[in-house]
Amino acid sequence: MMNSMNNVEFVNELVNGAVKVIKTDVVDNFQVSYEIKKNDVHLLLTRLKGAGWIQLSYLSAIDWLEENKFELVYILFNWEKPVYIQVRAKIDRENPVMDSILPIFPGAKYYEREAHEFFGIAFPGNPDYEKQLILEGWDDIPPLRKDFDPQAYSDRKFPKRDYPQDYSVKDPKESRQAKRAEREKRATSLRGGKKQ
Amino acid sequence: MKSTKFTPASKLSKAEVDRKWWEIGDYFRRNSLWLLMYCTGCCAIELPPAMTSAYDMERLGMGPMATPRQADILLVSGYLSLKTLRRLIYTYEQMSEPRYVVALGSCPINGGIYHDSHAVINQLDQYIPVDVYVAGCMPNTEAVMNGFVDLMDQIKRKTAVGWKKYHDHFEWYKQNQRDSLGEVIVHDEFHE
Repeated sequence: MMNSMNNVEFVNELVNGAVKVIKTDVVDNFQVSYEIKKNDVHLLLTRLKGAGWIQLSYLSAIDWLEENKFELVYILFNWEKPVYIQVRAKIDRENPVMDSILPIFPGAKYYEREAHEFFGIAFPGNPDYEKQLILEGWDDIPPLRKDFDPQAYSDRKFPKRDYPQDYSVKDPKESRQAKRAEREKRATSLRGGKKQ
Repeated sequence: MKSTKFTPASKLSKAEVDRKWWEIGDYFRRNSLWLLMYCTGCCAIELPPAMTSAYDMERLGMGPMATPRQADILLVSGYLSLKTLRRLIYTYEQMSEPRYVVALGSCPINGGIYHDSHAVINQLDQYIPVDVYVAGCMPNTEAVMNGFVDLMDQIKRKTAVGWKKYHDHFEWYKQNQRDSLGEVIVHDEFHE
C-alpha cells in the first residue's frame, strides 16, 4: 500500500469481506466509518485486530432519541496504516445491552464503564461495568441521555445566587436618538412665530 | 527587680491583651501568606504571571505551599465539580487556623458558564466560607493581585473571618454540603 487512498480501499475490502455493512461513510483519506449489525461487532473487531488495527482509541455512544436507539461507536487505530476505522452499531434504547469486547480489547474496560455511567448501557462480560467511574453517588437517570434535563437537575440540587433587581443595570446609557428628539422638541417649543 | 522609673500599672484586661497579640499576629500573617493552590479550572492560567517576574507575588510576601497543613490561603481557581468539592472540603478542614479562602473567576460566584451543568456547583460560599471573590471570566492578573491585597486589607481590618464563620455555622455548612453532595466522604475504588 503506497498511498492513503489505497489504504481506504484495502479497509473497504477487508470490512465488506468480513461482515454485512449497512452504511459506509468515507470521512476522508484517513477516516472511514461502517455501520453494521450489533451481532457482527465482535467478528469485525476480531478481524480488524488481526489485520493490524490493534488499538481501540475510543468507545462512545450516541443517543438517537427520535429513533429510540443508542449508537455505539468503536474507533480503531492502526500504527502501520494511517486509517481510523469507526465501527458503529445501533442497539435498543429501552433495554440497552451490548456484550463486552473485553476478550478482544482489554482496554475497553474503562470505556465500557464510562458508557454505562453516562448512558446506562449494560455490558455483560465486563465484570465491573456497573462500578462508578467518574460520577460519585449519582442519583438520577444517566446524564448524557438526551431526555435528561441538566438545568432542572442543577436547579434542584445546587443553591443559586439571587440577584436583587436593584443591582442589575441593564442599559445605563440613554439612547442618542431619544436625546436628539428631546432637543428638537425643546427647540420647537422655544421657537417663536406661527406654530406649524 | 522593680524598675525605679515611673511605669503605670497596666490596666488592660485579658481580652484586650489577647486582642493586641492577635493584631501583632495579624501583622506578621498578612505579610507572609502562603497559598495552597487548588487549581480546578482555567483561572489557574493567571497564576504563572502572578507568581513570576511579571507581577511577582513574592514582593507581597506570598508564595506557594505544598501542603494544606502549612498554608494560610486556599486558592480556588475556577469551577468546582461535585467530585472536586468533596476533596476541597477535605483540604479546607485539614488547614490550620486562621485560614482564608480566595475564589477566582465567575464560576464559584454563580456557576459562570457552567450554571446549568449537572456536575458543577453554582455557589461556593454555600459550602465553605469565602473571604475574597475575584470576579471575571477569567480575571486579569491585576485583578488577581488586587484580590490578594484586598485580603491583606481585610486581615488588617479583622474582617477576614470566614474560618470563624465556619465554626459558628458549622451545622448550616454541613447541611448544605450534604444536600448537594449526598455524602462528603469519598467512596471510590482507590480508597476502599
